[in-house]
Amino acid sequence: MSMKQLVFRNLKQNIQHYYLYVFALMFASALYFAFVTLQYDPSLDAIKGGVKGAAAVRTGAVLLIVIVAIFLLYANTLFIQRRGHEIALLQLIGMTKRNIFLMLAAENAILYYGTLIIGISMGFAASKLLMMILFKIIDIPVKASLSFSGRALVQTLIVFSVINVFMMGMNRLFLKKQTIVSLFRTTSTTEAKHVSVWNMVVGMAGIVLIGSGYGVSMKLFSSDWKSVQGLFMAMAFILGAVIIGTYLFFKGTISFLFHLWRKRKGGYLSIDDVLSMSSLMFRIKSNALLLTIITTVSAIAIGLISLSYISYYSAEQAAQNYVAADFAFTDKKDAARFTAALRSHDIRYRETMIDVIEAPTDISMILDIADQSRLQFQPSAAALSVISDTSTGRIDVKPGEAVLTGYQDILRQFLPFKETGTIRLKANGRMVPLHYLGMKKDYYVNYHFTHGMPTVVVDQTMFARLQKETDPQMKKVHIGIHLTDETNIERADQLFQRMKFSSIADSRLIMSRYQKQTFGLIMFVVTFLGLAFLVTSGCILYFKQMGAGEEERPNYTILRKLGFTENDFFTGIRQKQLFYFGVPLLLGLSHSYFAVRSGWFFFGTELWTPMLTVMAIYTVCYSLFGMLAVRYDKQLLREAL
Amino acid sequence: MMILEATNIRKIYGTKKNQQEVLKGIDLRVEKGEFLAIMGPSGSGKTTLLNVLSSIDRVSEGAIFIEGNNIVAMKDRELAEFRKRHVGFIFQEYHLLDTLTVKENVLLPLSITKTPKREAEKKFAELASELGIIDIQNHYPSEISGGQKQRAAAARAFIHEPSIIFADEPTGALDSKSASDLLHKLRKLNQQRKTTIIMVTHDPVAASFSSRVIFIKDGQLYTQLYKGTETQQQFFQAIMQTQGVLGGVRS
Repeated sequence: MSMKQLVFRNLKQNIQHYYLYVFALMFASALYFAFVTLQYDPSLDAIKGGVKGAAAVRTGAVLLIVIVAIFLLYANTLFIQRRGHEIALLQLIGMTKRNIFLMLAAENAILYYGTLIIGISMGFAASKLLMMILFKIIDIPVKASLSFSGRALVQTLIVFSVINVFMMGMNRLFLKKQTIVSLFRTTSTTEAKHVSVWNMVVGMAGIVLIGSGYGVSMKLFSSDWKSVQGLFMAMAFILGAVIIGTYLFFKGTISFLFHLWRKRKGGYLSIDDVLSMSSLMFRIKSNALLLTIITTVSAIAIGLISLSYISYYSAEQAAQNYVAADFAFTDKKDAARFTAALRSHDIRYRETMIDVIEAPTDISMILDIADQSRLQFQPSAAALSVISDTSTGRIDVKPGEAVLTGYQDILRQFLPFKETGTIRLKANGRMVPLHYLGMKKDYYVNYHFTHGMPTVVVDQTMFARLQKETDPQMKKVHIGIHLTDETNIERADQLFQRMKFSSIADSRLIMSRYQKQTFGLIMFVVTFLGLAFLVTSGCILYFKQMGAGEEERPNYTILRKLGFTENDFFTGIRQKQLFYFGVPLLLGLSHSYFAVRSGWFFFGTELWTPMLTVMAIYTVCYSLFGMLAVRYDKQLLREAL
Repeated sequence: MMILEATNIRKIYGTKKNQQEVLKGIDLRVEKGEFLAIMGPSGSGKTTLLNVLSSIDRVSEGAIFIEGNNIVAMKDRELAEFRKRHVGFIFQEYHLLDTLTVKENVLLPLSITKTPKREAEKKFAELASELGIIDIQNHYPSEISGGQKQRAAAARAFIHEPSIIFADEPTGALDSKSASDLLHKLRKLNQQRKTTIIMVTHDPVAASFSSRVIFIKDGQLYTQLYKGTETQQQFFQAIMQTQGVLGGVRS
């Protein structure tokens, strides 16, 4: 048989075995090519200016290639190790290492570039789809038209060729290091040695580290570490504690728990235990690093996607908080011109006018912060907007009382307020004490007035008094235009955009679009990166399980000879894969939950719906790989006898 | 009492055009409690015979009854069930699971029959002291010697009190001391428990521990020797003589 024939024979074998590798490579190259195509596409310039679209996509592409490179190199080492026997045999019959290397390189080149070309053509088809999805997400009515980009092709080929060179280098090194004897030797030494006190200590340390990381994350943005340096230290601690804790958890905690469980069994194991627990214990320690990486990668992916989805999901709500009506004006003449335009186009509306006064307010007594000296503003004389209770139409405040309204979640983390207390309003050079009744969520005036701080609502008589005494410069007005029929919003917005206003005027629709554009693009990039994370980590686990299954094949044969049927195995195999895929996932979900919880309020107004949606979708996609692994094991079993 | 009865068993490998008949009509009857050795040159079909008798492989023709059950007519599932309860195995390569300790390996056949734990413990204690594996019961196979592994495998074969044990070259990978040690123990268990043992071997010394030796040549029964009242030494001489006549290569 000539070398050429040998190469093709091997290829035929490999494609059957490594279809998932081929799939992953195809997926990665398609994704990368699509990203690069987007990057070079002129139609993306439309959103480049405002949200730096190209930069976001480029960053995404770089991150993507890092993930893909690590994945491919890792998969490559797994594969070459599995072919140890074959390589040894070829050396035995007189092939030189150089020849074998050339054979491997030729095989790999065909497989690699063949897949790459398919991947790129799929990527080109997909880039149009991606573009359409992107435009849909960020709500831009541009036709997605794409031309094939030669630059993108060249860049993709170069990047993947560099990775291929690295892979070849690794193979060369592997061949150089290994002797024939070492290649023939099956490496099946037990790791499930006997439980020690050390094991227990490591296990406990893992749990303690993860727990303390979670604990610190819970109050990351509370008042405990206000300085930037302290915050940074806390973040570094959380990251380190959780990652090291995860590693120790896999290295110590799990094997310790297994040992306890196994000891209790007293040597009397059921077939399910044999297939799941003892098999897992056999490899869990050497897999600790891998499982830690998978867990961390999953946590990062879920966390980032959740946060970006929270931003996107909250865009509408954020726009409502910023603009307290469909259209908001700060000048009566501007408002009058706009309403005239609305009337001439038969668009019905309701107008609210709220007088706003900016008055220094002493809120130091209701702030739930012990040390107020580090705050960025003077809590005893905070410049807050004051409005009257009648102008809200909903809140009723008695004389001598006040409520605050318009309070964002992000504020709660930095400025926690007490339930009740006393605030003091400056009126006529004197601080007037008012009984503070609590905090409401609604927004009545624009963010231009509030700057993210809550608004004070007081009784009408008190407000009238303040108004009389206040310098006219400090008197402002908020005019809100609410459309009676929301379906007219597009038409009204077009009118709004065509007009020029003398002072600040806002459209909620424009604000919402702006928010969606910003966060939509980020979400788009992050989601596709997350997808790459998901696919690569799923594939790596699957490959690893393939190898483990291969090693267990003789065990299956023994069990089959002893009289166990295929059906006796299924529960055990499912348990094993459930554990192997499930534990990193669960831990990843838990990590990402705490990560998202610690800082989600920076990103939006809604936590649960977007986070749970992301988690559910991630879990489903990830589970597919677990199912593939179970299927592979079943096939092994069937062939075992 | 007859425990195993095989009549006219044939095993043919290969396609229709290129057939190779490995077993050419063998008749065999084994009494309960017998220690039977099967000998023969390489390629004579002795391992194939053991495989079909033990239901791991299927015959092409013929009938095999074990304790009155016709295993040729059984479906795969029934066969597996049958092996679980009535058959024990000892292999040349031990075939212990690397992932389990010695004790866990030995107790494996009991878990499938749902034997109560206390009873299992008792059976293990008896057998382990008999075979001298008490001290290594919590070791993994990679931590013990070949002889110890094979004794552990023997314990696994005996633990569920099967009516018949099949051993394929059990001493093939052992040094002479471990081998004779194992064979002494097998013979003792055979006599104490009245468990039938069918052992394939090419080693006349190993065969001399049995109560009867059958010789296979080219897929057919060549001859057989009964130990009867002979000493082991005399029996060994007789086996050597027959093996000499049998030879390996057709002249």
